[in-house]
Amino acid sequence: MRNAQAGPAPRGMGVQILLMLLVILFCVFPFYWMVTTSLKTQILALESPPVWIFEPTLANYSEVLLKDGVGTTLINSLIIAVSTTLLAVLLGCPAAYALARFEFRGKRDLWFWFITNRMVSPIVLALPFFLIVRKIGLLDTHLVLILIYLTFNLPIVIWICTDQFRSVPYDLNEAAMLEGASQWRIFRSICLPLAVPGVAVSSIFSFIFSWNELMYALVLTRNNAKTAPAMAVSFMEGYNLPYGKIMATSTLIVIPVIVFALIASKHLVRGLTMGAVK
Amino acid sequence: MKLNPTLRSLLVAGTCWLGVIGTAGAWTLEEAAKPYAGTTVDVVFLLRPGYEAAEAMLPEFEEKTGIKINIIKHPYENALGEQVRDFVANGDLDIALIDLVWIGNFAENDWLLPISEFTSNPELADPDLDIDDFFPLVLNAFGGWNGEVYGLPFDNYSGLLFYNECMLKDAGFDGPPGTWSELKDTYGPALTKDGKYAFALQSKRNETQSADSFARVLWPFGGSFLDDDFKSNLMSAESQAGLKFRQDLMQYMPEGIVAYDHAEAVNALAQGDVAMLTEWSAFYSTLKSPDTSKVADCLKIAPEPSGPAGRKPALGGFSLAVAAQADEKERAASWLFIQWVTSKANALEYLERGGVPARQSVYEQDGVAEKYDFVPALVESWQDGVPEFRPRFAEWPEITEIVQEWGSKIMLGEVSTEEGAEELGKRMEAVLEEAGYYSGEKPLAQ
Amino acid sequence: MPVNASSGTIRRSTILAFLGPSVVTLLVIGIGPLLYAVWTSLHYFNLTKLKKVKFIGMENYASVLTDSVFWEALGRTFLLLVISLPIQLAIGLGIALLLHQPGVGFLKTLTRLSLVLPMATTYAVVGLLGQVMFNLKYGVVNQLIGFVGFDPVNWIGDPTNAFIAITFWDIWQWTPFVALVLLAGLTTVPSEIEEAAKLETKRWFTVLRYVQLPFLIPALTAVLILRTADTLKLFDMVFTMTRGGPGSSTELISLMIQRVGFRSFDQGLASAQAIILLIITIILSQLYIRLLYKEV
Repeated sequence: MRNAQAGPAPRGMGVQILLMLLVILFCVFPFYWMVTTSLKTQILALESPPVWIFEPTLANYSEVLLKDGVGTTLINSLIIAVSTTLLAVLLGCPAAYALARFEFRGKRDLWFWFITNRMVSPIVLALPFFLIVRKIGLLDTHLVLILIYLTFNLPIVIWICTDQFRSVPYDLNEAAMLEGASQWRIFRSICLPLAVPGVAVSSIFSFIFSWNELMYALVLTRNNAKTAPAMAVSFMEGYNLPYGKIMATSTLIVIPVIVFALIASKHLVRGLTMGAVK
Repeated sequence: MKLNPTLRSLLVAGTCWLGVIGTAGAWTLEEAAKPYAGTTVDVVFLLRPGYEAAEAMLPEFEEKTGIKINIIKHPYENALGEQVRDFVANGDLDIALIDLVWIGNFAENDWLLPISEFTSNPELADPDLDIDDFFPLVLNAFGGWNGEVYGLPFDNYSGLLFYNECMLKDAGFDGPPGTWSELKDTYGPALTKDGKYAFALQSKRNETQSADSFARVLWPFGGSFLDDDFKSNLMSAESQAGLKFRQDLMQYMPEGIVAYDHAEAVNALAQGDVAMLTEWSAFYSTLKSPDTSKVADCLKIAPEPSGPAGRKPALGGFSLAVAAQADEKERAASWLFIQWVTSKANALEYLERGGVPARQSVYEQDGVAEKYDFVPALVESWQDGVPEFRPRFAEWPEITEIVQEWGSKIMLGEVSTEEGAEELGKRMEAVLEEAGYYSGEKPLAQ
Repeated sequence: MPVNASSGTIRRSTILAFLGPSVVTLLVIGIGPLLYAVWTSLHYFNLTKLKKVKFIGMENYASVLTDSVFWEALGRTFLLLVISLPIQLAIGLGIALLLHQPGVGFLKTLTRLSLVLPMATTYAVVGLLGQVMFNLKYGVVNQLIGFVGFDPVNWIGDPTNAFIAITFWDIWQWTPFVALVLLAGLTTVPSEIEEAAKLETKRWFTVLRYVQLPFLIPALTAVLILRTADTLKLFDMVFTMTRGGPGSSTELISLMIQRVGFRSFDQGLASAQAIILLIITIILSQLYIRLLYKEV
């Protein structure tokens, strides 16, 4: 923590506190509303004007978990998000290291090509992927989503980690090289441990992006590998909008990722410096 | 099919003979299903009352037959895409769930098997099938294409006028409006006040805009999508009259009606915010149940109002057909299920559980018309309707997107009814041109 | 700084070993399908008319480029970008500076934690939540603005208001992300320089402009690239909230492509649209990088 001023003026601090409370309210309120709506019956949810104090019920949760099978889709989401994140880190870290430490022709173009993958709209790839995957018989499997999510996770890992590796002091490399250590050893034993914040933050993002993904999940899964967001959307039948159920499912989807993100959040700021290859 | 007379009499004799055997051995579902016990049948269901009814009846079927029905639930808006992708990819679905506007498309792609494959097989055909017991209009529109029957009507709708009798009485009306112009000119002003509205016409930009809103104002005024040459008929005086009527009527509808899907519209009536609503028969149970409707006691049902061209109520619904991609066993098992769930014998139970069967016989039973007060209006609507209320040809999925887009723009006043209809017509004709209707490549069937 | 002092000692095979796996992976799962999409875009390719697939050259591209609906959707998408991005940057920078100030440690941690909530919330859920909160009658938003004396607003049923609502959600969800990235950027400013500057001037703006901003350039570039690409991809939230309606008022480019490809089933046309979109995205990202990383 820096301490430029000996102590901030009390008035300035009052404003600061007020602003921070506003930010917290802004961020948390929709979340609060989602959770409370999920505890309402359909009739209460459609009360006009909305009620703030009521007797909560867990009926929506028991219905979506026991009857509609939201639990399975949550497990699917978890399997997929964790696997794709691990894979992205496994593949992406060495690549990021190479981009940060080695000099070779076309390095900038390669970096840009990696990042470009992150920008491809899922709509471009969804159908070709569907047709190919169907041919090789992998439709509606976890593996398909794990692989296709790499198209956006790998670039994120490479982007963030390249920057991290560059911030690792170079003399460490040189010292190790003088001792005759291989590049792989230097990467694994010296640089990787120092790049943990970057790896952490890119893992957080990979996990969040994969957990939340909808378009590919809608097109590529049906029953076995259906993810939780795809499930939530499937309650949106034009005939009937069960708000309580939809919000209960939403809460179940959002809670794990938020808990995860909160636990990991101390890395967020340290790892988010996102430079480019220089 | 042309057969020479000798052959035909032989066939007739043969069929009679089989019939005799059939009655002697008395066809039963259990017997017929024996070879297929353990087969799993995949089918797409929607999240609607008719499907819940069928799901509740399922255990009986599975127990009798040993056939497992695997239900994959989708909201309506995804059901077409899911099935198309599955059929294209030669996937797992064994039964096709066909909205009447998808049948041309599915049939032309050879994704369906005609029912004759099964009705001609005495081991699979229930002697009590009695295909003529289905309302002919419904069977033809939901399950038939190009002279062939593919699907049996399963989840069946007709447009009805649901109204809040109490609100109408308070405003001095003894009964519902008989015509659309009466609804607008007399009932509209009298019932739109104090934050309440006379009418709601669900118009969200999806199939609801095409089926429930756009088509609903075309036909009663004598309009139609296409003329006899398959050119756009939307610029005709009649079609324009219908579309202009809708613009006028909007002043008696809640704000933001263009964002209303069925759920919002039904809820508006159920909460007592609107007095009248033209909706599918399938909403009867929702509107009549005190759990979901505040106006259950005031709810009454009439046929849709008529226009200058007569009463042309909305027609919609789903049939079930055996998918061509299923293997031999799955085909037979699928047929047995379709036949069973749409059967005469099960029609009453299906009705009691919240479904709407298309069997004429069930509505003739004592007490049914009294217990379910939508029945008279429904039966009347199914006597004569317009099967091509929405054209059922293969190009509908493309055309409906155009209708949805420009129909909404017209309602929002972004384009006039003429401009919108012209653009819509142009785009519609481009699709039909591409399909080969104008070059004579394809017969003009809708 | 990784100076190129020892690159001579690193063999090609080592570089390949480090880069190979990810390059190959992305080639197979990214470029493969992309090439297939290019192939599709050159054909009449309707999923419900696979019997009629035929090569038609650039015809799909020609009809995309002359279709007003495509350009309107693209225009709408950029409108969203130019409205929401500056707001996100301004508020995000404000929050970052607020959290960069010394003092009130506990509340600061709490604020930083709550910033994580919006960006972690599933995008599709945000849209669903929007349906609930922005509902004309049952929505809490109208209740809240009612407390301050405003009449209920028809958010989802009115074209302009629906656009405002999705813009608001976009700002809600991504401002915290911008704030966190900029906060991370601020931590890269060497503290001695910053403190020296603060001793010389009391004006925070001067400090920001001449001391902090240069260090924020990488973060800003990253934010610009990511937010631009993500806005051009934006689908889930709008799809679950308005489905592009009412009318076409919230039909962003990705919703439009989805509609053509998966509802009209014209995959050829949809692929052409998607590829044009991809080209636009790449050009924009290149521009950002060229303009902002002057030293490269």
